[in-house]
Amino acid sequence: MKATEFIVNALRKQGVSQVFGYPGGAIMPLYDALYDGGVAHLLARHEQGAIMAALGYARAGARVGVCIATSGPGATNLVTGLAEAMADSIPVVAFTGQVPSPLIGVDTFQEVDVLGMTLSCTKHSFLVEDQNDLDRIIAEAFTIATTGRPGPVLIDIPKDIQLAEMACDRVSELAELPPLDGLVDEQVVAARALMHAAKKPVLYVGGGVGMADAVPELRELAAALDIPMVSTLKGIGAADPEHPYYLGMLGMHGLKAANLAVQESDLLIAVGARFDDRVTGKLDEFAPHAKVIHLDIDACEHNKLRAAHVAISTDLKLILPALKMALDIAPWRLHTLEMKVATAFRYDHPGIAIYAPLLLKQLSASLPEDHLVACDVGQHQMWTAQHMTFTQPENLLSSAGFGTMGFGLPAAVGAAMARPDAMPVVVTGDGSIMMNIQELATINRAKLPVKIVLIDNQRLGMVRQWQTLFFEGRLSQTILDDNPDFVALAAACGIPGEAIVVKEQVQPAIDRMLAHDGAYFLHVQISEQENVWPLVPPGVNNAEMLEQEYEW
Amino acid sequence: MNGKQVHEVIIEANNSIEILERVLRVIRHRGFRVSTMNSVQMNDCNSIKITVTVSSERSIELLYKQLDKLFDVSKLSVQQITAI
Repeated sequence: MKATEFIVNALRKQGVSQVFGYPGGAIMPLYDALYDGGVAHLLARHEQGAIMAALGYARAGARVGVCIATSGPGATNLVTGLAEAMADSIPVVAFTGQVPSPLIGVDTFQEVDVLGMTLSCTKHSFLVEDQNDLDRIIAEAFTIATTGRPGPVLIDIPKDIQLAEMACDRVSELAELPPLDGLVDEQVVAARALMHAAKKPVLYVGGGVGMADAVPELRELAAALDIPMVSTLKGIGAADPEHPYYLGMLGMHGLKAANLAVQESDLLIAVGARFDDRVTGKLDEFAPHAKVIHLDIDACEHNKLRAAHVAISTDLKLILPALKMALDIAPWRLHTLEMKVATAFRYDHPGIAIYAPLLLKQLSASLPEDHLVACDVGQHQMWTAQHMTFTQPENLLSSAGFGTMGFGLPAAVGAAMARPDAMPVVVTGDGSIMMNIQELATINRAKLPVKIVLIDNQRLGMVRQWQTLFFEGRLSQTILDDNPDFVALAAACGIPGEAIVVKEQVQPAIDRMLAHDGAYFLHVQISEQENVWPLVPPGVNNAEMLEQEYEW
Repeated sequence: MNGKQVHEVIIEANNSIEILERVLRVIRHRGFRVSTMNSVQMNDCNSIKITVTVSSERSIELLYKQLDKLFDVSKLSVQQITAI
């Protein structure tokens, strides 16, 4: 059996039925094996599109995403996606072709040292030197990508190794890893004691909850504690959005009640969250009165940015049920509820122009129960996090830790393949969509029913907002009033659509889009002046938010 | 920050082709400087022992956990040498 045939068999053994990629010289043997190998392959139109699709596939609910690229430029085009997967802990296995072994290191055509290049943006990586190592390497790669804190793994395979004959055809399943630590009684006792003593506790929910498949355990704990909760961008959907004391996203563009509750709290219970700078603002003034219980599978996160009084690195499904208790915090519950009501967003924006937060609220209310939203990076991303409602973390795909513009369109491609029964939606901006616009052709190729909502302010809006606020209004390279005709561009890729400019058009357009059988492109023109509020400016703590002036 | 501290770190690892780069990259990126380094292949050539002296104002605990997380690292020990 040829090594490439073995690889395809190994993929099937791992339960992989769908891969994403782009062929090229040094990966041709593997593509030959994929031709009739029984694993479906979707051709992206750029390797970055392929890996972002694999990430979307994994984030939307599949166990792992797999992507394939050739050597050299194919491999370097994967790098942003690997870094994205590293920052957001997404399980992905990337295969790259490499020039033949004897030609490595002599500056061969399409040669790059991808192993060296990706050391900093993979959880682990392999250069295959002997085809008979493939069985072990593939089993290890899938185990590493999917266990503990998930992440990206790269397997670089020289072309001569791909063409070699295997000594043995047997495929192993998963590699052995040391078992996770169980619960330590003293730690549980210490955590419970802090919780018992707390008068103003807050549950700070991160993306780790969804990755640990611990949403039910989190919700049972939240119900038992009846505790105020805040969420990171990646944690959105983990906590029940209908829970009365769920205060929404915290951080730089967090909801005011969420930030104020954290700043006032005397105990933070961080669950699968890592005190990212976009969450904490000025770190030494973040939650200044709070003791910290930090639950995270990755011990590297403990005491990295914020010292924890109790730090526990184990499976959240184990630890969360062990923390159930009744809390005597009635005044605190009432206080946070009052803040939530008093600081709620208003949607009675005056004038006829489309108000993006209201549009997203309407979109959210119009979606069928089984849906997923992939967004890009910038103002629309923050509006999506603030104004749409998500009941499961795998329903919102957002490039959180790495902030990769161009994530949304290809991530929706992968997500739509992972969840064919869900309504796939992209919320994007006129800056971001151009970063991977070629993937419109992939949506057309796969006939995916992706609904694309482009919120167009003819600006790089988030940078423009900062220039307005903090750089004296000097709009350096952020004006995009020469954008292409997006509806025509989509139509050229076989995707019908329409453009809307005033408020009354919003709901009928949403209804038409959702009723349309297939992909649809909704171009939404908004004012270039709109800002994302609240905003915690650089260098201050999260209580010092700049806010929307509701002069209307 | 408590001023610079110097530690000796002893790493036993799978002798993969990129192991030195992998370890040194983590040490640099996490904010440590290498002052001395020695690596020896173990008898069976499948593993390698790396002894490295590092200095930083950051807590050695952070580096320890990052190195410990590397898939190829099998054994790790740290000893404080001196404080500057």
